[in-house]
Amino acid sequence: MTAIRIAGVARSFGAVAAVRGVSLDIADGEFFTLLGPSGCGKTTLLRMVAGFCELDAGAIHFGDKRIDTVPPHRRNAGMVFQNYAIFPNLTVGGNVAYGLKARGLAAGAIGQRVTKALKLVHLDGYEERMPHQLSGGQLQRVALARCLVIEPEVILLDEPLSNLDAKLRVEMRGEIRQLQKRLGISAIYVTHDQEEAMAISDRIAVMNAGRVEQIGAPAEIYRHPATPFVARFMGVTNLLSGTLARREGARAVVRVGALEFPIEAAAVAGAAEGAEVGFSLRPESLSVAPPGAKPPAGWAALAARIERVEFLGALTRVELRLDGGLGLSAAVVDLPRGLAQGGVSLAYDPARVTAFLGPCA
Amino acid sequence: MRLIPPRSGFPLAVAAVAFAFLGLFLVYPLYNVFQASFFDPSGKVLTLANYAKMLGTPFYRAGLVNSLIVGSLATLLTIAIGVPMAFCVARLPVPAKPALLALAALPLVLPSFVGAYAWVLLLGRAGIATQALREVGLDGISIYGKQGLVLVYTLQTFPYVLLPTLAAFKAVDVSIEEAGQNLGATRWRVFRTVTLPVVLPSVLSGGLLVFMETLENFGVPFVLAEDMPVLSVQAYKLFVGEMGANPASAGVLGVLLILCTTSALLLQRYYLSKRRFATGARAVPPELAVAPWLRRLGACFPWGVVLLALVPFAAVVVISFLEFRGPVMHLNPSLGNFALLWQRGERPLVNTIALATAASGAAALLGVPIGYVLTRYRSRLADLLDVVAMAPFAVAGTVLGIGLVISFNSGFLVLTGGWLILVLAYMVRKLPFNVRASAAILHQIDPSLEEASVNLGVSPARTFFRLTVPLMAGGVIGGTILTWVTITSELSATVVLYSGQWSTMTVEMFRALEGTGAGMAAATATVLILATILPLALIYRVLKRHEVALL
Repeated sequence: MTAIRIAGVARSFGAVAAVRGVSLDIADGEFFTLLGPSGCGKTTLLRMVAGFCELDAGAIHFGDKRIDTVPPHRRNAGMVFQNYAIFPNLTVGGNVAYGLKARGLAAGAIGQRVTKALKLVHLDGYEERMPHQLSGGQLQRVALARCLVIEPEVILLDEPLSNLDAKLRVEMRGEIRQLQKRLGISAIYVTHDQEEAMAISDRIAVMNAGRVEQIGAPAEIYRHPATPFVARFMGVTNLLSGTLARREGARAVVRVGALEFPIEAAAVAGAAEGAEVGFSLRPESLSVAPPGAKPPAGWAALAARIERVEFLGALTRVELRLDGGLGLSAAVVDLPRGLAQGGVSLAYDPARVTAFLGPCA
Repeated sequence: MRLIPPRSGFPLAVAAVAFAFLGLFLVYPLYNVFQASFFDPSGKVLTLANYAKMLGTPFYRAGLVNSLIVGSLATLLTIAIGVPMAFCVARLPVPAKPALLALAALPLVLPSFVGAYAWVLLLGRAGIATQALREVGLDGISIYGKQGLVLVYTLQTFPYVLLPTLAAFKAVDVSIEEAGQNLGATRWRVFRTVTLPVVLPSVLSGGLLVFMETLENFGVPFVLAEDMPVLSVQAYKLFVGEMGANPASAGVLGVLLILCTTSALLLQRYYLSKRRFATGARAVPPELAVAPWLRRLGACFPWGVVLLALVPFAAVVVISFLEFRGPVMHLNPSLGNFALLWQRGERPLVNTIALATAASGAAALLGVPIGYVLTRYRSRLADLLDVVAMAPFAVAGTVLGIGLVISFNSGFLVLTGGWLILVLAYMVRKLPFNVRASAAILHQIDPSLEEASVNLGVSPARTFFRLTVPLMAGGVIGGTILTWVTITSELSATVVLYSGQWSTMTVEMFRALEGTGAGMAAATATVLILATILPLALIYRVLKRHEVALL
């Protein structure tokens, strides 16, 4: 039942700045995810909260208590490690009891709490098993039980699902989320998988090169990325750069080469005419229709040719080429019959376009 | 990279103890050896006169040259034998591989001068094989001199090359070989241009060990060199000389020995620093399909070498149960040699066991924390500790012994004549092995296990004792027993340091060789061989069992 406050935290390893002045406020009971590519500083930040990495600057608080000066074994922040870190010389029960023994609990109480914790992760009856008899998913559950049984103030999860196969990953992330909500413990979760982050989190901080690029709810980050980096990192997108040609009421028109893309004027409120503007057009916000088809009211339409079609199961990805040579990628649930090649009419809702001031690098 | 805990006095304390220990019992004695060699007898005037005198004497110059020639030849020969052998074991269907590997490691721990003596029993002047050969008209085959030294060293130290090279061959990802072939290279070309360069660093590491071992070895040349001068024996003779000890001249030879070993070590480091290959084999490379005659050859060769290396030891055990009248052997079974040995008292055996136990235990107590700091803390201090802890490796036992005697014969700390000086010498000599072994064990234990423990509320110090130590236990016990075994057959430092009542089995054997007690020497050799093999058989089980617990 603890809010976590990370203020102005920084750390360098030699000449490499791993974390450069990160500040985050994580609410009590919130499921908060640090998302970013490898080397972005997310794991370093998590290890700072756990106490395995020193701070060069800044402070970390659990509630009102400053903890970055507390040794790691007195922080009461349960951590789940990427490789599970299950003690190979102890039974499942011994692993889960480890932290309770360190706290000097009576044997009877330890037994009860171990049983309860194992039940929580659906491993009742596994107390006497040795870790090498367990599968990856089961080891992950033991790690979870071992971390939860000490009733930590916060839980820290370092890519806990990356060693599991795809199906189990989806299953486990649901369970982790459910457990965390049931117990109401604040959680910091580290992952490089944007889909996993969106599925599990209340809020996400997208990190890049030691800095936080954007903090927000999954839908907000996906729909309204604050920077081109976030737009690109959160799934596939078409990133385009052009100049602001003119404003037409609620619309603004961005010129890319010879083509004009209408977007919402509010999205480029600060930009002068002629200024460089970048924008992100999500593939799934593009609709593909037969040539000459009338787009929905208020939508913008463009003529394009289909270059390549990839059938992905639930979705079909369509690679398109606009007049003037610009390439775009669209994702549709169903490609209308007879449209596998040739000319099409492309349409999008300008309200779904995210714009950035300045070009997209 | 991973620091537990970020700020801790633990590595500092370990480094302080290690520096103090090695400073007092390695650096200070060596400093005294250097001083003895660089100063005139008054100890005040810096001079190169000692060096000029020694290097100006053909006898001592020959010692240096002989040592280097024998060392280089043995190194080349072990590589010439060890590399093809490793390849056969790694890539050809050799029968009974586990047994072969278990036996192949034995020559390293069996006392080398016992091996040399066994060859003398077989091929020496009155040797069994010599007599048999003489009867069929073959004469003039001699085990003495350079060829004998090279033969014994090669058969004794080839596992130093075989074992790391075998590991390297197994770690080569087959797909890189396949890639080579796929690009149009023949199998031989791929081997020459891809496989061999990748295993070369391991080959050279092994070769270095062989070179160091041959340079510092005292017992083998003592048995086989006869009149031929050899550096380590000369240093010993000068130091305990009947004409009065001559620390200055012994010091010169000691410094020369250290110079040779150190330059070999630095040369190898320099070479390796430019060649680091990450070989991440996901699976052990498959055995090659070759012609039947090649397959047979590939099976006979490694087994032949291993058996040739072990036969003398078996022979010496058999011979020790034969009747001796003076130096002459008769083919009657007898326990007479052991009875004679028993009459001399059980003290040397008790000494050997007690000293080896004390020293191996103490070396583990010192070595394990150093290994821990080296693997778990990355810092300048840890790098320095690494260099210092490996330093004893380049110091010949004889030289260390001489240094210890010069240093602790008088003054603030008098140790000569007691048991402690032997234990300290063994600890110093075995420290590099202990540190390396503990580091190797720790590399297999994921650091996140310790982090998980700390995260669950157990302090770093308690984590070390409650989690890390139990996880390391199997490996440490195995390493300690291995240390124990090698200490029981230590001769080069012991022979300088022992005194009257603290004689060991190796010293008894040494004295029996000096005298005429051939039968008793054989009996002593048998006891030493048993003292080596029995504990090893024991850890073979322990290690197998603990491998499971260590994942």
